[in-house]
Amino acid sequence: MKVAYYPGCATHGLSKDVDVATKKVAEVLGLELVEVEDWNCCGGGFLDEYDEKAHVSLNLRNLSKVEKMGLSKMATPCSVCLQSHRLAVNNYKENTELKKEVDSRLKSASIEYKGTVDAEHIVWVLVRDVGVEKIKSHVTRPLSQLKVATYYGCQMLRPEKIMGFESPYNTHSLEDLVSSTGATPVRFPMATACCGFPLMGSNPKGGLKLAYNVLNSAKSMGADIMIHPCSLCHLQLDVTQYKVMDEFKTNWTMPTMYVTQLLAIAFGISPKELGLSKIAMKALEQRGIT
Amino acid sequence: MQQSMKPSEKLEQVEIKVKVRRFNQERGQYWQEYKLVVDRFTQMTEVLRRIKSEQDPTLAYRASCHMAVCGSCAMKLNNEPRLACKTLALDLVRKYNTNEIVVEPMDFFKVEKDLIVDMEDFYSRMYKVKPRLYPAKEVVENKAEQRLTPEDQKELWKFAQCIWCGLCVSSCPAVRIDKEFLGPAAHAKGYRFLADPRDTLYEERLKVLIDSSWRCTYCYQCFNVCPRDVEPVTTIKKTRAHTKFLKQKSEVAETGEKHVKAIFESIRNTGKLEEAKVYLTTYGLVTSIRDMLYTMRNGKTQLALIKEKKVNEIGQIQKLMGEKE
Repeated sequence: MKVAYYPGCATHGLSKDVDVATKKVAEVLGLELVEVEDWNCCGGGFLDEYDEKAHVSLNLRNLSKVEKMGLSKMATPCSVCLQSHRLAVNNYKENTELKKEVDSRLKSASIEYKGTVDAEHIVWVLVRDVGVEKIKSHVTRPLSQLKVATYYGCQMLRPEKIMGFESPYNTHSLEDLVSSTGATPVRFPMATACCGFPLMGSNPKGGLKLAYNVLNSAKSMGADIMIHPCSLCHLQLDVTQYKVMDEFKTNWTMPTMYVTQLLAIAFGISPKELGLSKIAMKALEQRGIT
Repeated sequence: MQQSMKPSEKLEQVEIKVKVRRFNQERGQYWQEYKLVVDRFTQMTEVLRRIKSEQDPTLAYRASCHMAVCGSCAMKLNNEPRLACKTLALDLVRKYNTNEIVVEPMDFFKVEKDLIVDMEDFYSRMYKVKPRLYPAKEVVENKAEQRLTPEDQKELWKFAQCIWCGLCVSSCPAVRIDKEFLGPAAHAKGYRFLADPRDTLYEERLKVLIDSSWRCTYCYQCFNVCPRDVEPVTTIKKTRAHTKFLKQKSEVAETGEKHVKAIFESIRNTGKLEEAKVYLTTYGLVTSIRDMLYTMRNGKTQLALIKEKKVNEIGQIQKLMGEKE
C-alpha cells in the first residue's frame, strides 16, 4: 500500500527519532511511505493567527503535490501538522470569501488544488488500513512486561467534526496498537488533556505545568512508559523531562516515546537504533528490553 | 397537519440505567442509579424531569428552555461536556454501545447540589470583558445612526451566539492553571465587541484581552464542546492579531508576538520552521543555552543540530504568503 508521507518540520528536526521509527515500522509492514516532494511547513497552529490566507494556501500547496503524485491520502506522524492541514481544507471549503482570496494566491503561484486529498494521521492508517491483526503478526518481541499509558493529546482528536476518526471521549486507536504489541494499555485521567506545547512560545511556565499534569497522571496510574502520537508532544513530554523535574521539584520521570517507537521495539528493533531518549532507554533496559 | 404513526411504526423503547453523581452538604458526594424507559425522542432533560417527578424529588438540576438557547442544563454525560436538552438518550446508548448513561456536574466549577454548579466564577470572567456594546455618544443621544454592514455582521455573527452555558470554561485546561487567563467564553464575547465597528472601547478592550489571549494553549476543547459552534479559540487567534496595536505589552504578550513573528519569518525565508532559530529569536541566547543543556541531559543533542534544507520553490512560498513579484 502506497501513502504520501508528510513528516513536518519537527519530525525532520528535534523529533527526528519519530521519523526514524515511523519509516522502520512502515517498512516492516510493507506500507510504502512516499515523502511529499519539496513540502513546506504547515504553519504549526500559529500561522493562521498571523495570516489566515497564507496558512490555508501553504497547506493546500502540500496537498496539491499529493494530488499530482496520484495518491489519495497524505499521512503525517504529527498531530499539529494533521490538524493544520485539516483545518485549512475545512476553512477553504466553508468560507467562500477566504476561498476566493486563497484561489487567487494559488493561481499566482501556479498551484491547483482539486480537493481530492486531505491529511490523515499515521495512527489512523496503521489501525484502519494496515490493521491490528497484520501488525500483531509482525511482533517478534512481545512486550508483555510493559504497562503503557496511552496519551492522545489534543489535535489528533479535536475538533471532533473536522478530525473525525474517533471520539475524544471514546478513544481506542492507541489502545489497539499497544495491545497488538502484547503490552498492557493503561488509561489515565489526563489522556486527552493538553501537553502544554503551544504555550511554550508565550507562557512557558503554564506550558510546563500542563506537561507535569499529564506525566503525573500517567505515573499515578502505574504505567511503566507513556506513548503519544505527536512530534510536538514529543518535544514537550520526552525532551523536557528533566526540565519538568527541576521546575516541579520531583524525583521521578515518566518515560515517554512516540507510538511507532513502541511498535518498532516490538518488531525487534533496538531502542538504541531508534535513538530513544536516555530516560526511555533506561526504563526499557530495567525491564529487559535492549 | 399532525401526522399519526402507523401501528407498524411502533417506537423503539429501551430501558436505560442512569447513574448520577450526586452531592449535598450533609452527605458529600455519592452515586445514585435510576432506571427508566426511553424512546428516540427522549432528551436527557426529559430523562431528568421524569426521574425527579416520578422517582426522586430530591434530585437537583437546572433546565429551562429545552432548546439549546438558555444554556442552563450544561453537564457531563458519559464524560462529554454537553447540554442535556440537546442530547438524546438513545444517541448516547448507540454511541457508547451501553444502556448505562453516566450523568455528572460540569468540571471546574464548585458543585452546589447534585448537577447544579456555582456559576459565579464564569460570570465574573464574562463581566471583565464588558459584554455589551458601548456606542458613540451621538448614537446614544439619537443624533446619529450607525449601521452594521453585512460584511461586519458576518464576521461577528458566529461569535455572538454564546449562551453563557459555561461548558467551554469547564473543559478548558488553561483556566485551571492560570488565574490571568479569562477563559474561552469571555474571549469570544470580548472579540465580538473588539471587532464591532460601532463600539467605542477598542483601546480599553485591547488592554483587557491581549495578555490573556497569549495564555490560551490552543487545545481546541472549547471548539469541541461548544453547543452553539461559537469557536472561542478562533476569537483568541483573531484577538492575538491585534497585539501589534497595543503599545505597552505584558511579557507574555511580547514573547508570544516575537515567537509568531519568528515562525512567519522562518517560513517566508525557508518554507520550513527552523526550530533552533525560532527558539533563539523568541527567548534569546541565555534561555536557549539553558534549554539546550536539558536536551543534552536526555541524550538528544545531535537532533538539535539537524539543519533541514529549505524549500526549492521558495518564490512560490512567498507568493502564497502574499508577496507580489
